[in-house]
Amino acid sequence: MEKVHIGHHISQQFNEELEDIRTRMLAMGGLVEQQLADALKALTEGDTELAERVITGDYRVNAMEVSIDEECNRVLARRQPAASDLRLIVAVIKTITDLERIGDQAERVARMSLRLTRSNADRRPYSSLRNLGERVRQQLHDTLDAYARMDTEAAVQIARADLQIDRDYDALSRELITFMMEDPRTITWALDVMWSARALERIGDHARNICEYLIYLVKGKDVRHVSLEQMEAEARK
Amino acid sequence: MQTEPMNPVEATAAAPRRQARIASQLGAWAASGSPWVWLNAAAIATSLIAVVGLLVLIAVHGLGHFWPKAIMEATYAQPDGTRSQIIGESQGHEVVPAERLRGTGIMLPPEVTTAARSLIKVGNRDALGFDFRWVLDDWLLEIRYPEDLVAIERREWGNFFGYVRSVEENGTTIATGPEAWAALQARVQRAQTLAAQIRRIEKDEIGSINYRMERLRLAERRLELHGAPGVTEQADIAAERAALDSEYESLQGRLTALHEAISRDSLTAEIMGNRTVTVPLSSVVRAYRPNAMSLLEKVGIYVAKIWEFVSAEPREANTEGGIFPAIFGTVMMVMLMSVFVTPFGVVAAVYLREYARQGPLTRLIRIAVNNLAGVPSIVYGVFGLGFFVYFLGGSIDRLFFPEALPTPTFGTSGILWASLTLAILTVPVVIVATEEGLSRVPRAVREGSLALGATKAETLWRTVLPMASPAMMTGLILAVARAAGEVAPLMLVGVVKLAPSLPLDGDAPFLHLDRKFMHLGFHIYDVGFQSPNVEAARPLVYATALLLVVIIILLNLSAIAIRNRLREKYRALDH
Amino acid sequence: MNQTSTPTHAIDLSAIERERRHRDLAAEDVCLEVKNLDLYYGSKQALKCINMIIPRRRVSAFIGPSGCGKSTLLRCFNRMNDLVDGVRIDGAIELDGVNIYDRQVNVSSLRRRVGMVFQKPNPFPKSIYENVAYGLRIQGINSRRTLDEVVEKALRGAALWDEVKDRLHDNALGLSGGQQQRLVIARAIAIEPEVLLLDEPASALDPISTLKIEELIYELKDRYTIVIVTHNMQQAARVSDYTAFMYMGELVEYADTDTIFTNPRQKRTEDYITGRYG
Repeated sequence: MEKVHIGHHISQQFNEELEDIRTRMLAMGGLVEQQLADALKALTEGDTELAERVITGDYRVNAMEVSIDEECNRVLARRQPAASDLRLIVAVIKTITDLERIGDQAERVARMSLRLTRSNADRRPYSSLRNLGERVRQQLHDTLDAYARMDTEAAVQIARADLQIDRDYDALSRELITFMMEDPRTITWALDVMWSARALERIGDHARNICEYLIYLVKGKDVRHVSLEQMEAEARK
Repeated sequence: MQTEPMNPVEATAAAPRRQARIASQLGAWAASGSPWVWLNAAAIATSLIAVVGLLVLIAVHGLGHFWPKAIMEATYAQPDGTRSQIIGESQGHEVVPAERLRGTGIMLPPEVTTAARSLIKVGNRDALGFDFRWVLDDWLLEIRYPEDLVAIERREWGNFFGYVRSVEENGTTIATGPEAWAALQARVQRAQTLAAQIRRIEKDEIGSINYRMERLRLAERRLELHGAPGVTEQADIAAERAALDSEYESLQGRLTALHEAISRDSLTAEIMGNRTVTVPLSSVVRAYRPNAMSLLEKVGIYVAKIWEFVSAEPREANTEGGIFPAIFGTVMMVMLMSVFVTPFGVVAAVYLREYARQGPLTRLIRIAVNNLAGVPSIVYGVFGLGFFVYFLGGSIDRLFFPEALPTPTFGTSGILWASLTLAILTVPVVIVATEEGLSRVPRAVREGSLALGATKAETLWRTVLPMASPAMMTGLILAVARAAGEVAPLMLVGVVKLAPSLPLDGDAPFLHLDRKFMHLGFHIYDVGFQSPNVEAARPLVYATALLLVVIIILLNLSAIAIRNRLREKYRALDH
Repeated sequence: MNQTSTPTHAIDLSAIERERRHRDLAAEDVCLEVKNLDLYYGSKQALKCINMIIPRRRVSAFIGPSGCGKSTLLRCFNRMNDLVDGVRIDGAIELDGVNIYDRQVNVSSLRRRVGMVFQKPNPFPKSIYENVAYGLRIQGINSRRTLDEVVEKALRGAALWDEVKDRLHDNALGLSGGQQQRLVIARAIAIEPEVLLLDEPASALDPISTLKIEELIYELKDRYTIVIVTHNMQQAARVSDYTAFMYMGELVEYADTDTIFTNPRQKRTEDYITGRYG
C-alpha cells in the first residue's frame, strides 16, 4: 500500500490523468457489480423486466472498457510511465478486460433468467444458485473494495475465497446432474441453470485475476499461475 | 477633453504640464537607447574621419611630390626697380602679414597689411647657393611656361632647371640648339648604364672584397691571439690576400676606365639669371621637359620616380633618391623580432596557463606582464643598450670575436639587439593574446585528447596549440604593429641615419646580425628634423610616413590573412 | 482454472520466462569493481562510499538528478578527475583486479584501456581520418596501411563508414552533431579499449541521432564493457542491462534495468523514475 500513491508527480496533469483512470476503472467496477446484482435478482425473482435491463445495459460496460483503454494507451504513449505508474496502467488495462468479461457473464445470467422464467422451471436448485450468486457478488464487491484501498492482504483472502466458490459450483453441478438423471425432462432447464452457475463461477475466476493484478500493482510481483501459498508469501513481503 | 478656451489659471498650470510632458518624452527617448546609438555613431564617425583624414593628408603631400610639375619662368620686379629672371617649380602659396615681411627687409607700401607669397624651387644649388626662394605674387610678372625648359635630376647639388644650349663630348660641341635635346637623350641613357656599372663595382664587388679582406685580417689576428701562426697558415693568408689584392687592382682598373667613359659627355645650359653652366652627364639621373610633356609621359615619369623612391638608395643626406635600405631594414627588423618574440611569448603563455599552478604568484606574474606593456619604449631602449649591447654583446665579443677588439662586433648596436629589444617590448602582447587563445580552447577538446591516452604535452602539441594559433597570430599582429612604428628605443640599439650595407647580402654568412640598419621611422625623424635642406626634405617626410603606414598595413594584412586561414581551419566547436 | 493443485507445466514455463528476462548481477563477470570509493572536491564530499561492480560486456547506466555524482563516478573510471584541482579520492577501483589508483599505474595506458565519450561531440579540428587515427598516432603508429585499416574498422564499428568514406580527409567539424558523436565513438574504439565510458552521449543530439547512438551502443556491447551516464531515463531503460540510481553522491540502488524500471526497491528510486517530488 505504501508503495503506490498516484499523487506527488512533478507534473500535476499526470497526477490527474492517473487518478482519472483509476476512478473510471472503479466506476466501471461499480457498474459491473450492479449489473451482476441485477442479473442475480432477475434470476431469483423471475423479474424479466430487470433481466432485459441488464442485457441492454451491457453496452455501457463495453463502452467504458473502450474509453478507459484509450485513456491508458494515451498515457502510455505520452507519459512513458515507469515503475508504479507503469504497473498501474498495465494493471488497469488487464483489470478492465476482466471486468468486461464479468459484465458479459452477468448478461449471460440475465439471459438464462429470462429463459428459466419463461419455461416455468423447477425452482428447487435456486437456493443453491442464489447462495453461489451471493458469494460471487460479495467476491466481486470485496475485490473492488481491495482495489480501492490497494489492500493486498484482502486480495489474498479473496483469492482464497475463490476456492469456496469452486466448491459451491461443484456441489451445484452434482445436484443438477442428480435432477437430470432422475427425470430427463428437466435436462433443458437444468442445463440453463448449469450455464448460469458456470457463468457465476467464471466471474469468481475473473475476480481472482483482478486480485492478482492488484498484487502486481502494489508489490510488483507477477503472481499469476502460482500456488496460493506463493501468492500469499509475495503479497506479504 | 476640454473644448472651451482655457482661463488664465488653467493656462499657467498648462506650462509645467507641458514641461513635464517634454521631460517624460525625453526620458522615453533616453530609455529607448537611441542616445547611446547616436553617441556610438558619433564616436565611430570621429575616429573614421581622423584616420581617413590622416591617410589622405600624408598621401596627398607624399605622393604629390613625385609628380613632374610645370617649370615657370617669370620676371621678378621688385619695387626698387631691380628686375630679375626666376625659373623654377612653384611649391606653394601662403598669405602672410605684411608686418612679418617688413621685418625681413622687404619694402612694402604702408597701406598693405597682408601679402601673398609663393615658394619657388629654383634648384641649381651649385650655381645659386640656394634652391628655394620665396617671392611675392604681386611682383611676379610675365609668368610663362616655355616648352624647352629642362628639369634635370642630378646625383649631387639637387635639381637643375634651365635651357640646354649645347652638348659636348670631350669638350667638343656636337649639338646645339634644338638638336641638343635629342642628342642629350641618347647620351643620358649611356651615362646611366655606365653609372649603374660603376655602382655595381663600387658597391657590390669592391664592397665584397673589402669584406673578405677584413675577414682575412681577423683570421690572421685570431691566429696571432692563439699563439704564433704556422708557416703554412701565414702563407695561405698571404696568398689569399695577394689574390684579393689583384682582384681589387683589376676592379680598380675597370672602374677608372668607366669613370673616364662616363665623364666624356657634358652639357652647357643657361639657367636663371642668364648664367651659363656646365653639367657633366655623369651626374644626371633623369632629364625631362615637363612643360612639353603630355599627361601620359608625366605619368611615366611619376611612376619611375615613385619606383626610384622605394627601390633606390638615398642621396644628398637622405633628401633625395630612394629609401630602399630603410624599408628593407624595417621589414627585416620586424621579421627578426617576430622570430624571437613568438616562441618566447608562446612558451611563456603555455607555462603560465597550462603548467603553472594558478595562485597568487601566477596572478602577480600576469599583472607584471600586463604592466610591462605600459613601460615607455625608451626605457626598453636603455635596457637594450645596457643589457644586450654592452653586457651580452660585450661578452660575446670577448668570448668569440677577440680578434676584432677593440672594434666591437656584437658589442655595438645592431639589428640583432634592436630586434631583441623590440621583442622584449612586445612580448607581453604575445603572452596575453596567447593566454587568451589557450583559455578559449574548449575543455572538451583537451579531455577528448587525454581520454585517448595522450599525455598533457602531447595534447598541448597536437591539439591545443594548433587551436590557439589564431590567437597567437593576433598577438603577433599587435606586436608587429607596435614594433614597426617604434623609433625611440631603436635609436639607442641599432638604427643609423645611413647604413653602408644591408644586413642581408651576398657575402657569407649572408645574414649579418651585427650590422646597423636603417629604419623608416627613424628616417622620418632624420629627414624631417636633422636635414640640412628642410624645404627639400619636407615632401619626403610625408612620402616616407606614407610608406611606413603602408608597410605596417601590409605586414598586418598578411598576418591577418594567415590568422583567418588558421581560424577557418581550427574554428572552435560552436553548436 | 482450478488452482488448488499447482499446474506443473505452468510453473516450468514461468521459470524459463523469468530467467530470460532478469539478469543477475551476482552471476556476471566482473570488469570493474568499485570499493568504498569516497571523493571530495575540496571539503565537499561528492561521492559517498560507493561499492559496485561493472559487469563485463554489458551496458551499465548511471541515472540520477543533476549533481548526484554520476558523472564524477564515471570520470573516476579513467581518472579524468585527476585533472581537476583539489580532488581527493579514497578507496579503490579495480580494473581486472588491479587498483587503477595505484601509484604504479600509468594514467595514459589506463585511458587507452578505458575510453571515454563526452556529452558534447568534441572532434578535433582535423580531418575525419586524423581524428580516428589520433589515438594511434599518439602511440607512435604512423604506418599508412595500419592506420587505413584501423580507421576503416573503427568507422565501420561506429556505423559511420558509409556516410563518410568519400570524404575522410574533410574537416570533421563539417559533420552533423550525430555524426560527430559517432566519430568520437569511432575515435575511442580505434584504440581498442576494454571499457567505453559514455558521459551523456546523446544529450546534445536530435532524437534520430540519439536512436542511432543507442543502436550503436547495443551493437558495441558484444565487444566492450559500456558504462553510460544519462539524464534521459528512457534512454537508460532502452539501452542498459543494469541501472544504477545515484542521489546526493550515494549509490541508492543498483540492479538490472527491468527491475529498476518496473519495480524498484527504494522509494527514492521510485520517486525519481516516476517523476515525483524527491
